[in-house]
This record gives sequence, structure tokens and C-alpha cells, in this order.
Amino acid sequence: MDRIYRIGIDEVPRHLTLNEQEHLRLTFVVMPGISADIPFEINIGREGVNLEILGLYLSPHSEQVHFKVTVRHLVGGSHSSQLFRGIVGGKARARFDGLVYVAKDAQKTEAFQENHSILLSEGAVAETHPQLEIYADDVKCSHGATCGYLNPDELFYLRSRGIPEKEARKMQMISFISPVIGHLPEDLQQQIISRL
Amino acid sequence: MAEEKDILAAAVSKEYSEGFVTDIEQEFIPKGLNEDIIRLISAKKDEPAWLLDFRLDAFRKWRQMTPPAWGHLSRLPKIDFQDIIYYAAPKKDEERPKEIDPALQETFDKLGIPIREREVLAGVKSKVAVDAVFDSVSVSTTFRKTLAGMGIIFCSFSEAVREHPDLVRKYLATVVPVGDNFYAALNSAVFSDGSFCYIPKGVKCPMDLSSYFRINASGTGQFERTLIIADEGASVSYMEGCTAPMRDENQLHAAVVEIIVEKDADVRYSTVQNWYPGDAQGRGGILNLVTKRGLCRGENSHLSWTQVETGSAITWKYPSTVLMGDNSSSEFYSVALTGNFQQADTGTKMIHIGKNTRSRIVSKGISAGHSENSYRGLVRINPGAVNARNHSQCDSLLIGSECGAHTFPVIRNSSPSAIVEHEATTSRISEDQLFYCNQRGISPDDAVGLIVGGYAREVLSRLPMEFAVEAQKLLSVNLEGSIG
Repeated sequence: MDRIYRIGIDEVPRHLTLNEQEHLRLTFVVMPGISADIPFEINIGREGVNLEILGLYLSPHSEQVHFKVTVRHLVGGSHSSQLFRGIVGGKARARFDGLVYVAKDAQKTEAFQENHSILLSEGAVAETHPQLEIYADDVKCSHGATCGYLNPDELFYLRSRGIPEKEARKMQMISFISPVIGHLPEDLQQQIISRL
Repeated sequence: MAEEKDILAAAVSKEYSEGFVTDIEQEFIPKGLNEDIIRLISAKKDEPAWLLDFRLDAFRKWRQMTPPAWGHLSRLPKIDFQDIIYYAAPKKDEERPKEIDPALQETFDKLGIPIREREVLAGVKSKVAVDAVFDSVSVSTTFRKTLAGMGIIFCSFSEAVREHPDLVRKYLATVVPVGDNFYAALNSAVFSDGSFCYIPKGVKCPMDLSSYFRINASGTGQFERTLIIADEGASVSYMEGCTAPMRDENQLHAAVVEIIVEKDADVRYSTVQNWYPGDAQGRGGILNLVTKRGLCRGENSHLSWTQVETGSAITWKYPSTVLMGDNSSSEFYSVALTGNFQQADTGTKMIHIGKNTRSRIVSKGISAGHSENSYRGLVRINPGAVNARNHSQCDSLLIGSECGAHTFPVIRNSSPSAIVEHEATTSRISEDQLFYCNQRGISPDDAVGLIVGGYAREVLSRLPMEFAVEAQKLLSVNLEGSIG
């Protein structure tokens, strides 16, 4: 199942409990101009669940975005992955709090968590708290977080091939967010890209 | 499989060989903590008025504070601060006040700490200058004269207060302010002894300096204070070790370490922490609540932390670096091993202020038994920290299904030209790895030691040589029988 939440338009459930064997993909999209606190908790109560959470935040002005995502593996044998990517500019602040909790005896759990941000300007702040709390030993869990800027070498490459700077930067941003927006419906994708 | 399980289970239950008590006449001050006690400690150490005022100010601040509760330390007991003796010292022989008591000598011999220069010079031990602290006082500092010839000051903190008051006053509490946190404030009020080290401009310290801390008396706590200053272009390697007797009570150890690194200076700080961890049922053990911080004040300064944490019932410790000078850099290498009912919440903070500042974090956690091991860290890039760079790697290894391994990093980036990366993984010793070793005739215990040694290698290889050998031994001894 594929669910898409446009923050500020669609209502986001605060809690979800997964007791069915299912493949669930959730995508959160925060468009420019939107400030929001997004607390979201999900409990996995059954084996064989495959959960994928994707998040995108575009905050070029003075937005304040705060994701608070908790994934609890209460039983073993399930898979979860989180991928959050965002571009922060102006005086905006973006914060990602992500907790993966693996209960005692929830063996054979696989949980992955990633958060990547790009800062565009002085005054922008990106904060990330990717947390793992693990009480079982036979698990595969990892997280990664990065924060950086648009690679100047890539920019140079594109410009040396005659692409104007503005467009080249936009291409870089599209490639940065494409892992998150790749599966979204065409019209939403276009809508996101036009706002970059 | 059952056999392998037994082996894992047995691994964490090895005895603590430093757990003996030295029978020696000691003097104590009354239990409890109030302004009179602080005045008494200060008087015992014959301190100037400014230091007493410093203590009293700290005490007043401390009284307004509450103990931090954010650590992932469910077994940290509520500490009754009125039930602790804040000063205990071995009695001096009045006729021969300069000589070290033979019982103390024997204690440090037993621990393998060279407090006699003769032995070291004869080449029995490697060349290390030692400051040995027993409960609340420093008993001996070796190679002081040799070092003084180069302008290096290496002595106990109390001596530094007497002989170099200007230096102490200039630098004390500049890195860890009195009211920094609850335990730092407590330490500032009641600190007893510790080491003081000053390396003058352009001097490269010719030998490793080290402090050895020993808790002996029961009912006491140890509150050492260490201050290390590396002036412009200086460099030094500093090591710290610690042990305590086995007791059913929890003993408090609340230290403060401050390091100041000036322009072009280089400091390497290594710790092998082996306080008594408590018994297999989780009774007793040291509560290790420590504040350590370094300030890279000048350009191109460099500070490197390496720690091996195997002891203590509770560890709450975050050696941190403030990267203030442009082009300054810092590293944090840590191995934390917890077994039985030990709990560790440890990590680092890297605060990037200057331009082109660089930091690297490598943390390896190993949890076994019923223990909990957390990495908690902060990487903060301030707005002016142009081109700052950080890379953090935090790995956890779980041995057995009763323990926990956690990672709580915080990254806060306000500089658009900075790059920060963090990664963490969790794994365990797989049956395949064990089987592979066993099949080649390596006993399961040795196999665990081998695998853990390989896992921690990146950190252990950063330690000065003898320390590395000792740390490797500690890791394998503490894990003996943990495969279960």
C-alpha cells in the first residue's frame, strides 16, 4: 500500500499499529512555505511487515519543520526503512528526530534510517537526531545522516557543458531529492520540481 | 549450539584482579557536605583564599542544581551526597614525611604502576612520568626534575596551587565553568587532588605523562581535577588509568579534566578506565560521572581523545572538544565494553567554531550480559565555521540477547559550507565467525577475544603501546565466558 501525505493539506495520523503482513509505503512531503511539527509513531506488532517511510522537506525561506518519527519493532522478523531528504535555505530550520526501537526478543529485525540535508545559505539550520535503541542481538540496524551543500565540482561539470548556473543547481537538487520523489505520481513530482 | 551459548555466558564473569584493599592508616574528615566541610578540605590543603572562594561559589551554585536525568542509565541510584566522605588520605609518617609509605609502594607495584624512577631508568618499565593519586591525595610524581629542566611543569594539583598559583588561576574553570553541570559543580566545590601539567612554548614533551587514580577507602568518593595546558607549538601525550577495590557499596567518582591547546600545539589524551564494575549480580561498583573537555584555542591546534572504558557500574562521560582556533582539529576514539549489569552512556561533543575545523569520531560499543551501552554525541557546526568537516562512525556489537545497545547522536549544522556525516551500525558475533575460529583450533574464549579485538582495532591502535597491550588484555579478560 502506498500512502502520500502532503503536510498542510492531508491529515497525518499520529499513531499506526501494523498487525497484518503487509508492505506499506508512507511518503511525507513538506512544500516550501509550510512550517509544521510532524509527530508520527508506528508500532510493528507482527512479523513479515515491510515498512518504508519517505520524507521530503523543502524549506527555502523561514519555515520551521520538525519531524518526529518513532518506529517500534515489538516483534521480530520485520523490515523497516526510513529515508528523509531536505533542502534548507533562507532562515529556515529543519529538524529530524527519528527513533528506531527494537524490543527485547524482536530477533531478525532489519531497520534502516537515513537523513540527508542540504544547506543553501547562512542562517539556515539543519538538525538531526537519528536514534537507535536496540534490545535484541540478532538484528541488522543502521543509520546514516549527512548534512552538506551542493557539490561545486558537479556544478562546474554541468556549467562547462553549457548549462546555465541556475538550471544546473536545479538539476543538482532534483538528483538529490529523486530517491524520495521517484515513485510519486507524475503531477506531484512536477509540482515539487517546479518549486525548487 | 548449547556449548557456544555457555561460552558466551561465561565470558563476562571474569574476576577483577585489581579489587584488593590496601590496609593502611588513613585520615578522614567527617561525612557530609556543607560549607564547613569545604573550608576544612581547603584548610587541609593549605589553600589560598581565592581558591576557597572558588569552592564556596561552586558549592552555592551546586545547591541550586539538580542531577541530570537524561542519561540512559536506569541503574544509576539516587546518590545521597550527605553520606559520602569527601576527603581521605593515607597518614604520613611524621618522622619521614618525604618518603612513600611501603604499603602504598606495594599497592602501586601490585598494580604495575612505576612510582620509582630508579626502576624506570634501569629500563624495567618504559619511560613514563607518573602522578599517582591515592584517594584524595597525590602520593608521588616521578621525573619532575628531569621535566622541569625543559620547563615542563608536571605535578599534583595541590602543588601547582602552591607553586604556580598564577597559572592555575589563569586557566582553572576556563574550559569547564563552575556551573557547567551538576557533577562539575560538585567537583569544583570538593575536588581533592589530580594532576597539573604545563608544557611551555615550543617544547615537545620527551616522555609520556600519566596519572594513575586509585580509590582505596570505603565510604568515600574521589573528586580529582586535572588541568593540562599545551602552550604554542608544544606537544604532549598524556595517559590516565584507574582502579578501585571490590565492594558492595557504590562509590562516586566525579572528576573534571580541562585541556587547553594553544596555537600549533598537539595533545593526545588516552584513558584506560578500569574502575571496579560491580559483581555479576550488579552489586557495587564505581559510579563514574565525569566531565572532560578540551579547548583548541589557537590556530592549527590538535587534540585527540582515546578512551577504553571497561570498568564502572555506571559511566556517564563525554570527553568533548571546542574547536575555536581556525584549522584546529580533534579526534575521539572510544571503545566501551559493558558486561553483567554495567551501564554506560558515553560519547563526545565536537563544537566547531573556527574556520576549516575538522573532527572525527570513532566509537565502538560492546555490550554483553544484562548491560546497556549507549553512544550519545553532539556535533555542532556554528554559523562562522566555514568549511568545517566532521565524520562520525558509531558501531555497536551485541553479545547475547539480554543486553542493549543504543545510539543517540545529535547533529546541528548552521554553516552552508560544512559537511557532516554520521553512520552507525549494529551487529553481533555470528555463529559462523565462532565456528570458523573453533574449526581452526581456536578456543571459543580466544575467538571472542580475537573478534572483539579486530572490531576495536581502529581505536586500540591509537593508544600508546603499553596501554594498547593492557587494553587488549582487559577486553579479552572482561569478555571471557560471555558467549552463552
